[in-house]
Amino acid sequence: MRDQFGRAVRRVAGRDGPNPWRWVLRDIDIKIEPGESVGFVGPNGAGKSTLLKIVSGVMFPHSGNVAVRGRIGALLEVSSGIHPDLTGRENITIFGSLLGFGKTEIERKFDEIVAFAELEDAVDRQAKFYSSGMKTRLGFSIAAFLEPEVLIVDEVLAVGDQIFQQKCLDRMRAVLDSGATLMLVSHDLASVGATANRGIWLNEGAVMADGPIDDVLALYRKDIESRSAENAELQGVVSISEFATSSPSGNGIESQSPVTISFALDSPDTRQVAVFVGVSQGPATPIFVSTRTTHLREGKSDHSVTIANLPLPAGNYYVWIAVRDPVARKDLTPWQPLGPLAVGGVGRLDPLPRAIVRLAPVYVEAQWNEH
Amino acid sequence: MSDTGDARNGDREVRITDVGALPDSPPSELRYRRELQVLEAVRRLFASRSIITGLIVRQIRSQYSQQFLGIAWAIITPFAQALLFSVLLSKAGTNTGIETLGVPRVLFFYGGLLAWSFFAGSLQSGGNSLVGNPLLNKVYAPREVFPLAQIASSGVNAAAGALVLPALFLITGHGPTATAVWTPLLFIPLIAITVAWTLVVAAITVYLRDLRSGLPLLVQLGMFSPGVLYPMSAIIEGPWRLVYTAFLPIGPMVEEIRSTFLLGQSPDFAVVATASISAFVYLSGCFVFFKRLETGFADVS
Repeated sequence: MRDQFGRAVRRVAGRDGPNPWRWVLRDIDIKIEPGESVGFVGPNGAGKSTLLKIVSGVMFPHSGNVAVRGRIGALLEVSSGIHPDLTGRENITIFGSLLGFGKTEIERKFDEIVAFAELEDAVDRQAKFYSSGMKTRLGFSIAAFLEPEVLIVDEVLAVGDQIFQQKCLDRMRAVLDSGATLMLVSHDLASVGATANRGIWLNEGAVMADGPIDDVLALYRKDIESRSAENAELQGVVSISEFATSSPSGNGIESQSPVTISFALDSPDTRQVAVFVGVSQGPATPIFVSTRTTHLREGKSDHSVTIANLPLPAGNYYVWIAVRDPVARKDLTPWQPLGPLAVGGVGRLDPLPRAIVRLAPVYVEAQWNEH
Repeated sequence: MSDTGDARNGDREVRITDVGALPDSPPSELRYRRELQVLEAVRRLFASRSIITGLIVRQIRSQYSQQFLGIAWAIITPFAQALLFSVLLSKAGTNTGIETLGVPRVLFFYGGLLAWSFFAGSLQSGGNSLVGNPLLNKVYAPREVFPLAQIASSGVNAAAGALVLPALFLITGHGPTATAVWTPLLFIPLIAITVAWTLVVAAITVYLRDLRSGLPLLVQLGMFSPGVLYPMSAIIEGPWRLVYTAFLPIGPMVEEIRSTFLLGQSPDFAVVATASISAFVYLSGCFVFFKRLETGFADVS
């Protein structure tokens, strides 16, 4: 209030202070067809939630237009729609009617909602005695079971436990199979990849990329890599240089073929170290890691690690490294990105049915037989 | 990783935006202006009536949950006030200028306070219904559903309060008069004024939180405005009555309701007409005002 007043005074007085507001969304031009399932990714503050709020009609844009056809079931921080003083049963009928659903429809779906939310006998208990997971489950169930034509989901998966997350994904698939349109915001890129068929990457309010989900996720992961490379503390006790990747077979780095990762370590003294080398796709969580304990002499030494049959499908990856003191159990050089690893060849991941989340991209050769 | 056989994926290329080329601000012709079509707004409000009933049930259930006396509080509060006023004023002497015209004091005050508490309760709960409301940026509905649901809840409370009237009639031996047939009609301008002012208070409170602190005081002062606890004629004479009614129709309407219901007086048609016109003007003006400010509610509250 005070800053609003101050702004008004400044405006009246004609004095220009520093502009106190910024564009949360810029130049958005998106058309989503019925039946599409769109995953929105991007860092915090990119404008994902604001975009969904504008689409659901809760917020209004400064400029531009939004047109929505069909009934929206919006899941925006769902648990806050649950009233703590009411029982689960009352919340279902009342929150359902708040979402715009008729009484008969709610009654028809009531048992399914309760079963899905795993409330059991807690339906007749006041919602303030629910755990946060129960509240989210209840909110999700109400919105997802009342057959919306457009389902808007903003980061609700993160709250439930793993079993419920899988149920949510299955439910979203069922909603999609019934012909509904899905708009999904999540930081869990694997879930987004498993649910959406179109991806939109937002950054600082702008659409960075819009297209098939896998392509958009690949671009976004690449961006995460370069950001985490910038943020990493690159210096440690042991410094790392001369990163290179090569193919011992001479055929290029491909799925199921050997690859050698080489680098130089520069140590200030003679010591025992454990070297960790891993490969990741995007953030610091590696797909696999190889470790070796060795003695470093004072000065620079060359090292290499060869992976016999690279288990990765074709794509872009990043090599990460850490050097630790195995005796003192201390980081000498913290886990940090070392350099890119481009994998070529024909190794591609087989497409999965919707709502099945692949934990990490691993390529295996498989032989199918019919007996 | 999408469904096998999903055709939609194949025919789309990834589109990458050159962020540096984005304009600093949107072209001014795209500036979002919501056209305010009052009829359309009313139609959408009507379409949202299930939301309003949901909110009313939610409000009343949660208001009285974990209370021993529950909805009885809707009777206790105005009754205690009425009792207080009648005892206080009879002790303080008869020269207070308040003429109850042969109606027992308790009944006289209770009737006025019941109508007033509907207005005051609506203004206070409806006025605060938008600020900090977690549903505001979760559920889409025309924003006026939140204050309207509060007004309706106050109405339910007032109706519960009216349940004690038969008992009061028995105790005091004074029943409703024949002119009570007018009373239901007089509720219309009363409700219209209540809705109009509640909408404005709710909208302003979003931007100017001072109203949250100041409103209880204003409502308290309003209770002593002409018409609520004593006849308007006690301090305002002649044509000024109509001027006063045009600006503040609430007190005169409370008075008209009470005098038709309890005092056996026919409505003062000049006052009622003035109040009705005023209520209609207030209602349309306040509704437009509310709808104009509506677009910013989710951002600010």
